[in-house]
Amino acid sequence: MSNPVIFKRLRGQSIVILLALVILVFSLLSPGYFTTQNFLNILLQASGLTIVATGMTFVLLTAGIDLSVGSIMFVAGVISGKLVVGGLSVWLAVPVTLVLGIILGLMNGWFVVRFKIVPFIVTLATFFAGRGLGLLISETRAVNLPDEFLQIGSARILGIPLPVIIMIMVVAVAQLVLDRTVFGRQVYAVGNSQERSVKAGINLNRVLLRVYIICGCCAALGGLVAIAQLGAVSPTFGFQSEFMAIAAAVLGGTSLFGGKGRVFPGTLVGALLIQSIQSGLVIVNADPYLYPLITGTIIFLIVLVDSQRHYRRKQMKGIST
Amino acid sequence: MLFRYYWSLLVIVGCLTAGCAAKEEGTVIGISFETLQTEYWVASIEAMKSVCEENGVGYLEAVANGDANRQFEQVNNFISRGVDGIVIAPKDAHTVIPIIKAANRAGIPIAIYNRLPAENEGDYITVVADNYEISRNTVEYMAEVARESGKKHKAMILIGDLGDINAVNRRRGFDDALAAHKDLIEVVAEVPTEWNQEKALAGVTNALQVNPDIDFIFSSSDFLFPSVVSALKNADKYHPIGHPDHVILGGFDGDAMAYRMLREKYLDADGVQDVFFECQESVLAVIRKMREEQVPDLIVDPGFVIHQQNLEQKAESMWGASF
Repeated sequence: MSNPVIFKRLRGQSIVILLALVILVFSLLSPGYFTTQNFLNILLQASGLTIVATGMTFVLLTAGIDLSVGSIMFVAGVISGKLVVGGLSVWLAVPVTLVLGIILGLMNGWFVVRFKIVPFIVTLATFFAGRGLGLLISETRAVNLPDEFLQIGSARILGIPLPVIIMIMVVAVAQLVLDRTVFGRQVYAVGNSQERSVKAGINLNRVLLRVYIICGCCAALGGLVAIAQLGAVSPTFGFQSEFMAIAAAVLGGTSLFGGKGRVFPGTLVGALLIQSIQSGLVIVNADPYLYPLITGTIIFLIVLVDSQRHYRRKQMKGIST
Repeated sequence: MLFRYYWSLLVIVGCLTAGCAAKEEGTVIGISFETLQTEYWVASIEAMKSVCEENGVGYLEAVANGDANRQFEQVNNFISRGVDGIVIAPKDAHTVIPIIKAANRAGIPIAIYNRLPAENEGDYITVVADNYEISRNTVEYMAEVARESGKKHKAMILIGDLGDINAVNRRRGFDDALAAHKDLIEVVAEVPTEWNQEKALAGVTNALQVNPDIDFIFSSSDFLFPSVVSALKNADKYHPIGHPDHVILGGFDGDAMAYRMLREKYLDADGVQDVFFECQESVLAVIRKMREEQVPDLIVDPGFVIHQQNLEQKAESMWGASF
């Protein structure tokens, strides 16, 4: 294989290369970083974010955005937490949480397709309403969950933490849906051009409604996975998770303009990259003031590299046409 | 038809404007909170409302949900409604300055609750807990407990949002307290949490993984305790006082979970902000200022440290005990 071809392929995997570099640097700085336990920890800690970001990827692929995922995590967590504290079985709380996520996602989608309101505005409203509702129900107090919840978070199957298994299943199913189903192809088509997708006979409203439902459901599930590790739903739970979910998806190569991106490896690696940096900084006991600086610089670099590539591709297209 | 719509709209806008401009009857204080997203803030606003009621003063309340601009608008709204005094729990030390200026221009007394404003020329009263001293005393108590154990310890601190002056002062208090115990306690992990429980959980888990012998943890806020407890349980290190593998635990705030952990003998010490004192002083300072009485510019809540030895005596003053 000639050098230009290798470089071209490497450029296409910049996020994976960056993840490898981050792992290499932190491993050199601290022997405690390159261990099976640490990698399991990174996977475990990234599991909630990855699931939420998976739903976000579907929405971003249609050129939409969902700012309400953090609030959905919170309100679904509070309601199911209150039910469990009130005596509902933990295992019944799981479907209840998912149904709540689906309902909230359906509300977002319905307003987007029925009233043609910009997704940013609809989900911003849900963002405030959801958090307000959660605070009202919880009376701004932490909902402390019974130990069974923590047992779900710390359960292992063949040595692999249950949240990690759930994350892998969600990522795999999502990528299969995007790659192998008619709906998946329609998602990309809608993101590339809504006008052309309608002309091609795609039911635009149905596709949009479904992606917001998927996003709501993933937010609730991601929240549940995080709560199972925390054992409590605090009034700040899920706050700013929407930004981390968007960052993970965009770092993974999903375009904010729609039509381009993948859950695997893209979004998964994006979430792992964020968590690997956070984990590495704690392990090397970095100065706390350096955290936002380093994380921000890395996110900026990867977005810069990707936008340059996107710009060059557009230029090439312009030349060829 | 269109005329009717515009006419209705005009009537509604007119009513709202008249309502906004109308002077509130009796003495009214505007209470503005940056957020209500922790138990501490809820306990605070409830305490302030009680103090107002006890003193026969009416109140308007507003919550900015973490948005400094919105808080500025809400305070301007208080001013246009003709409140007699303002008590504000600001977003941060800097964004409160234009709010102080606006209140000063309107000649309305203003008290700043819980966060010390950055240096400015304004006329205001600050009621604030001595975050540095309370943290230092709490960690000092924890260090004494560590010394009594007769063995060396490895310590971790959970730091709050470094843009929050209270978080910075709590960290300083921790550092200065342990500076005198370097022979005994080594700080091996500083975990920034940005006041986020998920980040706290990940940070504590990672720190415990690299330093499994950490046995001394100070959390800059009690509301991060669920994360600490979860990480300790996962590492099989959550044991009550008296157990040979007990991790010396300390916190700051005095919330309900800290109170429960003290009662259950998992928590060694907690730095308590005296919410009742601070809220009472904030409201009374504004009332005194309205009556043109002399009020100090700075009222400091010395707080106190609650621990296993003084739990029974101090529990009544711990706001989390009754929350």
